[in-house]
Amino acid sequence: MKKLFYLIFLLPLALLAQDNTILANKKNEFRIDILSAIVFAKASLSYERFIGKDFSTGLNANFSYNNKLNEDFDNGYRNNNPKFEFNPYLRYALSKSKSRYYFAEFFGSYNGGDYKEIIRLTENNIDYYTTYKSKYTDYGFGGSLGYKMYFHDSIALEFIVGFGKNLTNRNKSPDVISRVGFNLGYRF
Amino acid sequence: MNKIQYIILFIAALLFSNCNTNDDGFYNSVFASVPNLVTIQPHATSYNVGEKLYINSDFSRYLNENGKILDAFKTTGASGFYFSYVIEKQINATTWEVVSVNDNQLDIVKGNAQNGSYVYAICDYNTVTETYEYSVGFPLLSTGTFRLSFGYNSDSINSVELRSLSPATRLILNINTIITGLDTNGYYNFTVN
Repeated sequence: MKKLFYLIFLLPLALLAQDNTILANKKNEFRIDILSAIVFAKASLSYERFIGKDFSTGLNANFSYNNKLNEDFDNGYRNNNPKFEFNPYLRYALSKSKSRYYFAEFFGSYNGGDYKEIIRLTENNIDYYTTYKSKYTDYGFGGSLGYKMYFHDSIALEFIVGFGKNLTNRNKSPDVISRVGFNLGYRF
Repeated sequence: MNKIQYIILFIAALLFSNCNTNDDGFYNSVFASVPNLVTIQPHATSYNVGEKLYINSDFSRYLNENGKILDAFKTTGASGFYFSYVIEKQINATTWEVVSVNDNQLDIVKGNAQNGSYVYAICDYNTVTETYEYSVGFPLLSTGTFRLSFGYNSDSINSVELRSLSPATRLILNINTIITGLDTNGYYNFTVN
Protein backbone atom coordinates (compact mmCIF):
# COMPACT_ATOMS: atom_id res chain seq x y z
CA MET A 1 0.00 0.00 0.00
CA LYS A 2 2.86 2.30 0.88
CA LYS A 3 4.51 1.55 -2.46
CA LEU A 4 1.31 2.35 -4.29
CA PHE A 5 1.05 5.65 -2.38
CA TYR A 6 4.59 6.58 -3.42
CA LEU A 7 3.91 5.60 -6.99
CA ILE A 8 0.72 7.63 -7.30
CA PHE A 9 1.61 10.76 -5.32
CA LEU A 10 5.33 11.13 -5.10
CA LEU A 11 6.53 9.91 -8.47
CA PRO A 12 4.89 12.78 -10.44
CA LEU A 13 6.38 15.26 -7.95
CA ALA A 14 9.79 13.68 -8.39
CA LEU A 15 9.48 13.82 -12.17
CA LEU A 16 8.34 17.47 -11.96
CA ALA A 17 11.33 18.31 -9.78
CA GLN A 18 13.61 16.56 -12.25
CA ASP A 19 12.07 18.52 -15.16
CA ASN A 20 12.36 21.75 -13.21
CA THR A 21 16.01 21.05 -12.48
CA ILE A 22 16.84 20.29 -16.10
CA LEU A 23 15.09 23.41 -17.32
CA ALA A 24 16.47 25.54 -14.51
CA ASN A 25 19.95 24.74 -15.75
CA LYS A 26 19.12 26.02 -19.22
CA LYS A 27 19.17 29.79 -18.98
CA ASN A 28 18.73 30.94 -22.58
CA GLU A 29 16.02 30.65 -25.18
CA PHE A 30 15.48 31.78 -28.75
CA ARG A 31 12.03 31.88 -30.33
CA ILE A 32 10.39 32.64 -33.65
CA ASP A 33 6.75 33.71 -33.95
CA ILE A 34 4.97 31.42 -36.39
CA LEU A 35 1.62 33.24 -36.18
CA SER A 36 3.11 36.62 -37.08
CA ALA A 37 5.13 35.14 -39.92
CA ILE A 38 2.18 33.37 -41.52
CA VAL A 39 -0.70 35.75 -40.81
CA PHE A 40 0.93 39.17 -40.64
CA ALA A 41 4.04 38.73 -42.83
CA LYS A 42 6.07 39.86 -39.86
CA ALA A 43 9.42 38.47 -38.77
CA SER A 44 9.28 38.27 -35.00
CA LEU A 45 12.31 36.95 -33.11
CA SER A 46 12.76 36.73 -29.37
CA TYR A 47 15.51 36.04 -26.91
CA GLU A 48 14.79 35.19 -23.28
CA ARG A 49 17.22 34.92 -20.37
CA PHE A 50 16.01 33.10 -17.27
CA ILE A 51 17.07 34.79 -14.05
CA GLY A 52 16.22 33.52 -10.59
CA LYS A 53 13.36 31.19 -9.76
CA ASP A 54 10.40 32.86 -11.40
CA PHE A 55 11.73 35.74 -13.43
CA SER A 56 13.07 36.06 -16.92
CA THR A 57 13.92 38.94 -19.17
CA GLY A 58 14.45 39.31 -22.89
CA LEU A 59 14.07 41.17 -26.10
CA ASN A 60 11.57 40.74 -28.92
CA ALA A 61 12.28 42.26 -32.33
CA ASN A 62 9.70 42.58 -35.13
CA PHE A 63 10.15 43.57 -38.74
CA SER A 64 7.04 43.94 -40.85
CA TYR A 65 6.40 43.85 -44.58
CA ASN A 66 2.68 43.28 -44.84
CA ASN A 67 1.21 43.79 -48.32
CA LYS A 68 -2.26 44.45 -46.93
CA LEU A 69 -0.94 47.18 -44.62
CA ASN A 70 1.16 48.63 -47.43
CA GLU A 71 -1.89 48.71 -49.71
CA ASP A 72 -4.10 50.27 -47.05
CA PHE A 73 -1.42 52.84 -46.36
CA ASP A 74 -1.02 53.71 -50.05
CA ASN A 75 -4.79 53.85 -50.59
CA GLY A 76 -5.31 56.13 -47.62
CA TYR A 77 -7.17 53.74 -45.32
CA ARG A 78 -4.56 54.30 -42.63
CA ASN A 79 -2.06 57.06 -42.07
CA ASN A 80 0.73 54.98 -40.55
CA ASN A 81 2.45 51.76 -41.46
CA PRO A 82 4.45 50.13 -38.64
CA LYS A 83 7.74 48.67 -39.84
CA PHE A 84 9.69 47.65 -36.76
CA GLU A 85 9.35 47.10 -33.02
CA PHE A 86 11.92 46.37 -30.33
CA ASN A 87 10.24 45.13 -27.19
CA PRO A 88 12.34 44.50 -24.09
CA TYR A 89 10.36 42.57 -21.49
CA LEU A 90 10.35 41.22 -17.97
CA ARG A 91 8.37 38.08 -17.19
CA TYR A 92 7.08 36.44 -14.08
CA ALA A 93 6.09 32.77 -14.03
CA LEU A 94 2.64 32.30 -12.48
CA SER A 95 2.81 28.49 -12.15
CA LYS A 96 5.08 26.24 -10.12
CA SER A 97 6.00 23.90 -12.95
CA LYS A 98 8.86 24.99 -15.16
CA SER A 99 7.78 22.78 -18.04
CA ARG A 100 4.24 24.15 -18.44
CA TYR A 101 3.30 27.46 -16.95
CA TYR A 102 1.41 30.70 -17.31
CA PHE A 103 3.31 33.91 -17.20
CA ALA A 104 2.70 37.64 -16.95
CA GLU A 105 4.88 40.11 -18.75
CA PHE A 106 5.62 43.81 -18.68
CA PHE A 107 7.12 45.12 -21.89
CA GLY A 108 8.49 48.33 -23.27
CA SER A 109 8.45 49.20 -26.93
CA TYR A 110 10.50 51.24 -29.30
CA ASN A 111 8.66 51.18 -32.61
CA GLY A 112 8.57 53.03 -35.89
CA GLY A 113 7.41 53.07 -39.46
CA ASP A 114 6.02 55.27 -42.21
CA TYR A 115 3.58 58.12 -41.71
CA LYS A 116 1.52 59.95 -44.29
CA GLU A 117 -0.28 63.28 -44.05
CA ILE A 118 -2.20 65.50 -46.42
CA ILE A 119 -0.72 68.95 -46.96
CA ARG A 120 -1.85 71.96 -48.98
CA LEU A 121 0.82 73.61 -51.09
CA THR A 122 0.86 76.69 -53.29
CA GLU A 123 2.61 76.87 -56.64
CA ASN A 124 2.33 79.98 -58.82
CA ASN A 125 -0.53 81.22 -56.61
CA ILE A 126 -2.48 78.02 -57.24
CA ASP A 127 -3.12 75.67 -54.33
CA TYR A 128 -3.26 71.91 -54.42
CA TYR A 129 -3.38 69.08 -51.92
CA THR A 130 -0.87 66.30 -51.87
CA THR A 131 0.38 63.62 -49.52
CA TYR A 132 3.66 63.83 -47.69
CA LYS A 133 5.38 60.71 -46.36
CA SER A 134 7.75 60.70 -43.42
CA LYS A 135 9.10 58.32 -40.79
CA TYR A 136 7.90 58.09 -37.20
CA THR A 137 9.26 56.51 -34.06
CA ASP A 138 7.61 56.18 -30.67
CA TYR A 139 8.04 54.67 -27.23
CA GLY A 140 5.41 52.76 -25.33
CA PHE A 141 4.77 50.08 -22.77
CA GLY A 142 2.22 47.40 -22.03
CA GLY A 143 1.45 44.03 -20.50
CA SER A 144 0.91 40.51 -21.72
CA LEU A 145 -0.24 37.14 -20.53
CA GLY A 146 0.93 33.87 -21.94
CA TYR A 147 1.29 30.16 -21.61
CA LYS A 148 4.45 28.22 -22.28
CA MET A 149 5.17 24.52 -22.50
CA TYR A 150 8.34 22.52 -23.13
CA PHE A 151 8.87 19.29 -24.96
CA HIS A 152 12.01 17.18 -24.59
CA ASP A 153 13.29 19.76 -22.10
CA SER A 154 14.31 22.10 -24.92
CA ILE A 155 11.57 22.74 -27.45
CA ALA A 156 9.32 25.59 -26.35
CA LEU A 157 5.81 26.37 -27.51
CA GLU A 158 4.40 29.65 -26.34
CA PHE A 159 1.16 31.60 -26.72
CA ILE A 160 1.19 35.23 -25.80
CA VAL A 161 -1.47 37.95 -25.89
CA GLY A 162 -0.89 41.50 -24.82
CA PHE A 163 -1.24 45.12 -25.72
CA GLY A 164 0.20 48.46 -24.80
CA LYS A 165 0.05 52.13 -25.65
CA ASN A 166 2.41 54.37 -27.48
CA LEU A 167 3.28 57.45 -25.49
CA THR A 168 5.21 60.23 -27.13
CA ASN A 169 4.21 60.53 -30.79
CA ARG A 170 0.65 59.29 -31.04
CA ASN A 171 -0.43 61.82 -33.66
CA LYS A 172 1.75 59.81 -36.02
CA SER A 173 2.21 56.37 -34.46
CA PRO A 174 -0.50 53.75 -33.81
CA ASP A 175 -2.25 54.36 -30.49
CA VAL A 176 -2.18 50.70 -29.55
CA ILE A 177 0.70 48.25 -29.71
CA SER A 178 -0.41 44.65 -29.87
CA ARG A 179 1.81 41.82 -28.79
CA VAL A 180 0.32 38.59 -30.03
CA GLY A 181 2.23 35.49 -30.87
CA PHE A 182 2.44 31.76 -31.23
CA ASN A 183 6.13 31.11 -30.74
CA LEU A 184 8.30 28.10 -31.32
CA GLY A 185 11.59 28.17 -29.45
CA TYR A 186 14.69 26.37 -28.32
CA ARG A 187 16.02 26.53 -24.77
CA PHE A 188 19.65 25.81 -24.01
CA MET B 1 -4.42 23.70 -20.36
CA ASN B 2 -7.67 22.35 -21.78
CA LYS B 3 -9.20 22.94 -25.20
CA ILE B 4 -11.48 25.76 -24.04
CA GLN B 5 -8.52 27.70 -22.72
CA TYR B 6 -6.69 27.25 -26.03
CA ILE B 7 -9.72 28.52 -27.92
CA ILE B 8 -10.17 31.52 -25.60
CA LEU B 9 -6.50 32.37 -25.91
CA PHE B 10 -6.65 32.08 -29.72
CA ILE B 11 -9.76 34.28 -29.98
CA ALA B 12 -8.21 36.81 -27.63
CA ALA B 13 -5.08 36.77 -29.78
CA LEU B 14 -7.09 37.60 -32.87
CA LEU B 15 -8.99 40.37 -31.07
CA PHE B 16 -5.86 41.95 -29.75
CA SER B 17 -4.13 41.63 -33.09
CA ASN B 18 -6.93 43.75 -34.55
CA CYS B 19 -6.36 46.42 -31.92
CA ASN B 20 -3.43 47.59 -33.98
CA THR B 21 -5.76 48.75 -36.72
CA ASN B 22 -7.56 51.32 -34.58
CA ASP B 23 -5.84 54.01 -36.59
CA ASP B 24 -7.74 52.96 -39.68
CA GLY B 25 -9.71 55.71 -41.31
CA PHE B 26 -9.93 57.68 -44.49
CA TYR B 27 -6.76 59.60 -44.94
CA ASN B 28 -7.21 60.21 -48.64
CA SER B 29 -10.10 62.69 -48.67
CA VAL B 30 -10.01 66.46 -48.92
CA PHE B 31 -12.95 68.84 -48.99
CA ALA B 32 -13.84 72.07 -50.70
CA SER B 33 -16.89 74.31 -50.98
CA VAL B 34 -17.47 76.03 -54.29
CA PRO B 35 -20.96 77.32 -55.20
CA ASN B 36 -22.95 76.83 -58.39
CA LEU B 37 -20.95 74.09 -60.11
CA VAL B 38 -24.16 72.22 -60.96
CA THR B 39 -27.23 73.84 -62.51
CA ILE B 40 -30.69 72.87 -63.57
CA GLN B 41 -31.02 74.21 -67.09
CA PRO B 42 -33.34 77.26 -67.00
CA HIS B 43 -36.89 76.41 -68.02
CA ALA B 44 -40.39 77.22 -66.89
CA THR B 45 -41.43 74.76 -64.18
CA SER B 46 -43.99 73.42 -66.61
CA TYR B 47 -42.77 71.03 -69.31
CA ASN B 48 -44.49 69.16 -72.11
CA VAL B 49 -44.34 65.42 -72.62
CA GLY B 50 -41.35 64.61 -74.81
CA GLU B 51 -39.23 67.47 -73.49
CA LYS B 52 -36.09 66.82 -71.51
CA LEU B 53 -34.94 68.15 -68.18
CA TYR B 54 -31.27 69.04 -68.47
CA ILE B 55 -28.77 69.04 -65.62
CA ASN B 56 -25.51 70.76 -66.40
CA SER B 57 -22.13 71.05 -64.81
CA ASP B 58 -19.13 72.68 -66.39
CA PHE B 59 -16.31 73.76 -64.15
CA SER B 60 -12.63 74.45 -64.48
CA ARG B 61 -9.96 72.34 -62.81
CA TYR B 62 -9.02 75.64 -61.13
CA LEU B 63 -11.71 76.08 -58.49
CA ASN B 64 -12.28 79.42 -56.84
CA GLU B 65 -12.52 78.56 -53.19
CA ASN B 66 -13.30 81.79 -51.32
CA GLY B 67 -10.83 83.74 -53.43
CA LYS B 68 -8.14 81.06 -53.36
CA ILE B 69 -7.57 78.94 -56.42
CA LEU B 70 -7.50 75.19 -55.87
CA ASP B 71 -6.27 72.91 -58.65
CA ALA B 72 -8.70 69.98 -58.59
CA PHE B 73 -6.86 68.02 -61.27
CA LYS B 74 -3.41 68.36 -59.71
CA THR B 75 -4.89 67.35 -56.36
CA THR B 76 -6.70 64.28 -57.60
CA GLY B 77 -5.54 63.27 -61.07
CA ALA B 78 -9.24 62.53 -61.54
CA SER B 79 -10.70 61.68 -64.91
CA GLY B 80 -14.08 62.86 -63.63
CA PHE B 81 -16.31 63.90 -60.77
CA TYR B 82 -19.57 62.18 -59.98
CA PHE B 83 -22.81 63.12 -58.28
CA SER B 84 -26.32 61.75 -58.24
CA TYR B 85 -29.89 62.90 -58.50
CA VAL B 86 -33.36 61.41 -58.44
CA ILE B 87 -36.50 62.29 -60.36
CA GLU B 88 -39.78 61.25 -58.78
CA LYS B 89 -43.39 61.38 -59.88
CA GLN B 90 -46.26 62.05 -57.51
CA ILE B 91 -48.63 59.10 -57.29
CA ASN B 92 -50.98 60.51 -54.67
CA ALA B 93 -50.89 63.17 -51.92
CA THR B 94 -48.14 61.42 -49.96
CA THR B 95 -46.53 58.95 -52.34
CA TRP B 96 -43.77 59.59 -54.83
CA GLU B 97 -42.39 57.03 -57.26
CA VAL B 98 -38.87 57.07 -58.72
CA VAL B 99 -38.93 57.65 -62.47
CA SER B 100 -36.52 55.45 -64.32
CA VAL B 101 -35.65 55.27 -68.01
CA ASN B 102 -33.19 53.26 -70.05
CA ASP B 103 -29.70 54.72 -70.36
CA ASN B 104 -30.14 55.04 -74.12
CA GLN B 105 -33.13 57.34 -73.56
CA LEU B 106 -30.92 59.87 -71.75
CA ASP B 107 -29.69 62.72 -73.95
CA ILE B 108 -26.00 62.70 -73.11
CA VAL B 109 -24.48 65.89 -74.48
CA LYS B 110 -21.40 65.95 -72.27
CA GLY B 111 -20.07 63.62 -69.63
CA ASN B 112 -21.76 60.34 -68.86
CA ALA B 113 -24.81 59.08 -67.00
CA GLN B 114 -26.35 55.84 -65.85
CA ASN B 115 -29.93 55.54 -64.71
CA GLY B 116 -31.29 53.13 -62.14
CA SER B 117 -33.00 54.08 -58.91
CA TYR B 118 -31.12 57.37 -59.35
CA VAL B 119 -29.10 59.05 -62.06
CA TYR B 120 -25.38 58.48 -61.59
CA ALA B 121 -23.85 61.52 -63.23
CA ILE B 122 -20.21 61.77 -64.28
CA CYS B 123 -18.54 65.04 -65.22
CA ASP B 124 -15.80 63.95 -67.62
CA TYR B 125 -12.48 65.80 -67.72
CA ASN B 126 -11.84 67.62 -70.97
CA THR B 127 -8.07 67.82 -71.36
CA VAL B 128 -8.32 70.57 -74.00
CA THR B 129 -10.46 73.01 -72.05
CA GLU B 130 -9.25 71.71 -68.67
CA THR B 131 -12.81 71.55 -67.44
CA TYR B 132 -15.06 68.89 -65.97
CA GLU B 133 -18.20 68.68 -68.08
CA TYR B 134 -21.69 67.23 -67.76
CA SER B 135 -24.87 67.95 -69.66
CA VAL B 136 -27.55 65.29 -69.75
CA GLY B 137 -31.23 65.55 -70.56
CA PHE B 138 -33.73 63.33 -68.79
CA PRO B 139 -36.77 62.52 -70.97
CA LEU B 140 -40.16 63.41 -69.54
CA LEU B 141 -42.41 60.69 -70.89
CA SER B 142 -45.66 61.13 -68.99
CA THR B 143 -47.83 63.86 -67.55
CA GLY B 144 -47.98 64.59 -63.86
CA THR B 145 -46.31 66.36 -60.96
CA PHE B 146 -42.59 65.66 -60.55
CA ARG B 147 -39.72 66.61 -58.33
CA LEU B 148 -35.95 66.34 -58.59
CA SER B 149 -33.49 66.09 -55.69
CA PHE B 150 -29.75 65.68 -55.26
CA GLY B 151 -29.87 64.07 -51.85
CA TYR B 152 -29.87 60.40 -52.77
CA ASN B 153 -26.33 59.83 -51.55
CA SER B 154 -26.15 62.76 -49.15
CA ASP B 155 -28.08 64.53 -46.43
CA SER B 156 -27.67 67.95 -47.98
CA ILE B 157 -30.85 69.78 -49.06
CA ASN B 158 -29.42 72.85 -50.76
CA SER B 159 -26.22 71.56 -52.31
CA VAL B 160 -24.78 68.85 -54.50
CA GLU B 161 -21.87 66.71 -53.38
CA LEU B 162 -19.38 66.05 -56.13
CA ARG B 163 -16.73 63.40 -55.56
CA SER B 164 -13.66 62.89 -57.68
CA LEU B 165 -13.01 59.68 -59.56
CA SER B 166 -9.37 59.53 -58.54
CA PRO B 167 -6.82 56.82 -59.30
CA ALA B 168 -6.38 54.36 -56.42
CA THR B 169 -3.49 55.99 -54.63
CA ARG B 170 -4.46 59.62 -55.25
CA LEU B 171 -6.48 61.96 -53.07
CA ILE B 172 -10.26 62.14 -53.37
CA LEU B 173 -11.68 65.65 -53.54
CA ASN B 174 -15.21 66.16 -52.23
CA ILE B 175 -16.78 69.38 -53.43
CA ASN B 176 -19.88 70.73 -51.78
CA THR B 177 -21.60 73.04 -54.23
CA ILE B 178 -24.71 75.05 -53.43
CA ILE B 179 -27.33 74.88 -56.16
CA THR B 180 -30.12 77.34 -56.80
CA GLY B 181 -33.70 76.49 -57.72
CA LEU B 182 -34.46 74.04 -54.93
CA ASP B 183 -37.21 74.54 -52.35
CA THR B 184 -36.57 74.44 -48.61
CA ASN B 185 -36.85 70.64 -48.61
CA GLY B 186 -34.25 70.28 -51.34
CA TYR B 187 -36.59 69.65 -54.30
CA TYR B 188 -36.95 71.18 -57.72
CA ASN B 189 -40.68 70.86 -58.40
CA PHE B 190 -42.15 70.83 -61.89
CA THR B 191 -45.11 69.57 -63.86
CA VAL B 192 -45.35 67.81 -67.18
CA ASN B 193 -48.40 68.42 -69.36
